[in-house]
Amino acid sequence: MTIQDVIREASLTEVGLSADECLKCNVCNTVCPVARVTDLFPGPKYVGPQAQRFRLATTLPPQSGSLQILASADATVDYCSGCGWCTIACPADVKVAEINNRARASMKAGHRPRFRDWLLGQTDLVGRLGVAFSPLANWSLRNRPIRWLIEQTIGIHRRAPLPAFARRTLRSRLGRSHAALMGGGGSIPEPPPDRAVVLFHGCAANYYEPHVAEAAIAVLRRNGFETIVPEQVCCGLPRISNGLYASARGRAEKNLGSLADYARRGYRIVGTSTSCTHTLKAEYREMLDLDDDDARAVAGATWDICEFLLDLHEQGLLDVGFGRLEATLPYHAPCQLRGHGIGLPALDLFALVPGLDAVDLDHDCCGVAGTYGLKKEKYDIAMAVGEPLFRRLRETDAPRVACDSETCRWQIEQATSMPVKHPIEFLAEAYAAGPHGASPRAARDDPARRP
Amino acid sequence: ISLADSGAKVHVVARGHAATHWTSGGLDVAAPTGSPTSALGIERLAARQGHPYAILGDGARAAISAWRTSLMPEGLEYLGDLEDPLRAIPTAIGGTRRAAILPSAQAGALRPWGRGERLLVCGPAGFKDFWPDAIVASLRRPAVWGMDPGDDARPSTIDALVVDLPGLAGRHNLSALDLARLFDDARWRVDALERISRAIERSGAAGAGGRIALPAVLGLADHAAAFDDAVRILPLAPFEVPLVSPSIPGLRLYTALRAALRRRGGRIDIGEPVAAITVDRRRVTSVTLAAAVRERVIRADSLVLATGGIAGGGLVGRADGRLEEVLLDLPVEGPPAGEWLAADPFDPDGHPIETAGIRTDKDLRPVAQDGVIVLENVVVVGSLLAGQRYLSERCGDGVAIASGHRAAATIANAGARGAPQPVQPTAARP
Repeated sequence: MTIQDVIREASLTEVGLSADECLKCNVCNTVCPVARVTDLFPGPKYVGPQAQRFRLATTLPPQSGSLQILASADATVDYCSGCGWCTIACPADVKVAEINNRARASMKAGHRPRFRDWLLGQTDLVGRLGVAFSPLANWSLRNRPIRWLIEQTIGIHRRAPLPAFARRTLRSRLGRSHAALMGGGGSIPEPPPDRAVVLFHGCAANYYEPHVAEAAIAVLRRNGFETIVPEQVCCGLPRISNGLYASARGRAEKNLGSLADYARRGYRIVGTSTSCTHTLKAEYREMLDLDDDDARAVAGATWDICEFLLDLHEQGLLDVGFGRLEATLPYHAPCQLRGHGIGLPALDLFALVPGLDAVDLDHDCCGVAGTYGLKKEKYDIAMAVGEPLFRRLRETDAPRVACDSETCRWQIEQATSMPVKHPIEFLAEAYAAGPHGASPRAARDDPARRP
Repeated sequence: ISLADSGAKVHVVARGHAATHWTSGGLDVAAPTGSPTSALGIERLAARQGHPYAILGDGARAAISAWRTSLMPEGLEYLGDLEDPLRAIPTAIGGTRRAAILPSAQAGALRPWGRGERLLVCGPAGFKDFWPDAIVASLRRPAVWGMDPGDDARPSTIDALVVDLPGLAGRHNLSALDLARLFDDARWRVDALERISRAIERSGAAGAGGRIALPAVLGLADHAAAFDDAVRILPLAPFEVPLVSPSIPGLRLYTALRAALRRRGGRIDIGEPVAAITVDRRRVTSVTLAAAVRERVIRADSLVLATGGIAGGGLVGRADGRLEEVLLDLPVEGPPAGEWLAADPFDPDGHPIETAGIRTDKDLRPVAQDGVIVLENVVVVGSLLAGQRYLSERCGDGVAIASGHRAAATIANAGARGAPQPVQPTAARP
């Protein structure tokens, strides 16, 4: 085997290949929020593209000759939070965060996962159980001795932001309220793709914050779109983040099986969780190597809710009959949203609401990065990463905060005791305060509003 | 910033961070060999046929002045002037470079050296990007300061000092970023500066007066206060020496420029490369960015092309000898393939390929060989402009600032003549 063969085998993926573009300029290290606060993580360059060349051999089959099969070149990669800022900042298009994530997964491959990491990956299982026993579960999560015990036994920090479970799942609430069309065997015919969107609600809206998805459904209906809610499972991102790729791939395949047909029929798949929608858009391909027709169709059809609404606005199709919301509204853009590459659509939408003075907090990361900041050994790092953001919020007298990502909202709420809402909740509120109240108004049927 | 000041909605898009994060933070306006000042350097370069200063030279002074003024409120002050002599200042590898306009924390190196004045080069122990002993060994050679340096061109004595800073003993892989962030911590930096001060006293250098060269790590977010503390606590006058990337003075510059633009309602999106640019009847109508899926279209009335030259990625040289401008396929002016490189790899004048770029009219609109404007609402700035050798001419920053200023004027004038205003959705306040 020649060195060219070695490189070719190790670099078959877009992610692996991108390491070859690294200039070693250190720009990625300048934007890393984790390296900023701890010496435990040396920075994305060192554990990413720099260590990658030593990892080449790890992908070789054992019979490949004299090359030694190496373990991960740098175990500190486990301290990467996966925020993705390094990939964004790289002038050479190196997929630094993705290299790190894969390196972590390969480092953990072949080992039995730590129970805590396995558990944090099972958001749907935990959600189902939590909702079923919500009074007891919520009491337990608020109980300090129990949280201490969880920290000692499982390794989830006693002060980590764990949200309260809803009393009923979103799916159950929608089944009762008929606010959306529950896909997968319903008797009501689905409206065509220009009159309906598919909702990917994710675990957060289903088990913890049904009101967020309900606000989205109300805003969509206001703009003439019915919502279809097909069968779906966790997007798989918590599993990817905890190195459980095989299990994540299983989740992804289930979702693709359920969503691909809608995507091919021209339906847009809309989500209120930026991390779930980013997973459908990019991570199935980049992290899980799912790049078949189904994965491409679903990725191409997926929209963040604010991205979707802003697109409607740019086409002149958004109902802009917002009422006044007289408030200063600090806004934190989550890391996962940056990965979408769609700008900050929530800020553009807020600018349409009379009286709403949205202020971009312009801070890189709240620290939690999904499940990262929940872990006992990483909690302090996560809090230190977010501290400038928390400090700035504590100094404002704004009554509420806006943020697109659920785990960021929970982290900021925990750190500041301020209520943090999804942008869609403010838009729903602004519609309700408008001249037409919350009632649906088929803006798209109004010929005067067509572009 | 000039464009935003003229009332335009400005949206900066870039595939990633680059130039600012690599720069020394100083301003290379014009320092071709033999020019005693930047002003004379501009004159000399403006006289060269096809050099960007031939069309920008007149406006350079006003542009640099406006640029400096816009950075002042962001806490970044530059000292020095176009008429000041270009002086040899020490670098982090023990060489010198010629400069006249520097950020205030570096500007201490510009003052003429007094008779008997001493330079102490001081760095933290264990820091791999700044080796005081090696720097001093090199700087002690008179030739480093110029072929025939005068008495005031270099220090009389140069010594090295390595200091253990608090909490860093035995620390591996210490970076400039780590140090700069430590210097943002007021308590730590006072402790560190007092240690340096005591080490200076012990070395016997304090009484002799003189200056101390420190690596450019004196704070990022709280740089101004950190430098003030250094001036107050150290017994010698401090100045910073910029390091390899990531450059802390460069990061300060980026932060200040970004803040200045956002303060004016501008937007900056980093991270998604341009996938396509739509052109209709010789006018750019939109820029399409690659996103996670689909694409993101930004409509625009004007486009400022600041993608850099052959080193910055705005131009690529093909194996068959073609030079291509990567985004709009603009006509590229450059040497024929056989003459890209000088025979001597270390030719002091650099390589002919460095002059490759886009030829423009005086308003910086790209023109074809016959002088006809190729795209009416595109302006080209910075190192993408043809005819400069910014490495040897040391004119990169001056050309960038002067061309940015001219570009803003071109676009503002076009707007005043009745071109439609941008149709971007509303910009959020910073």
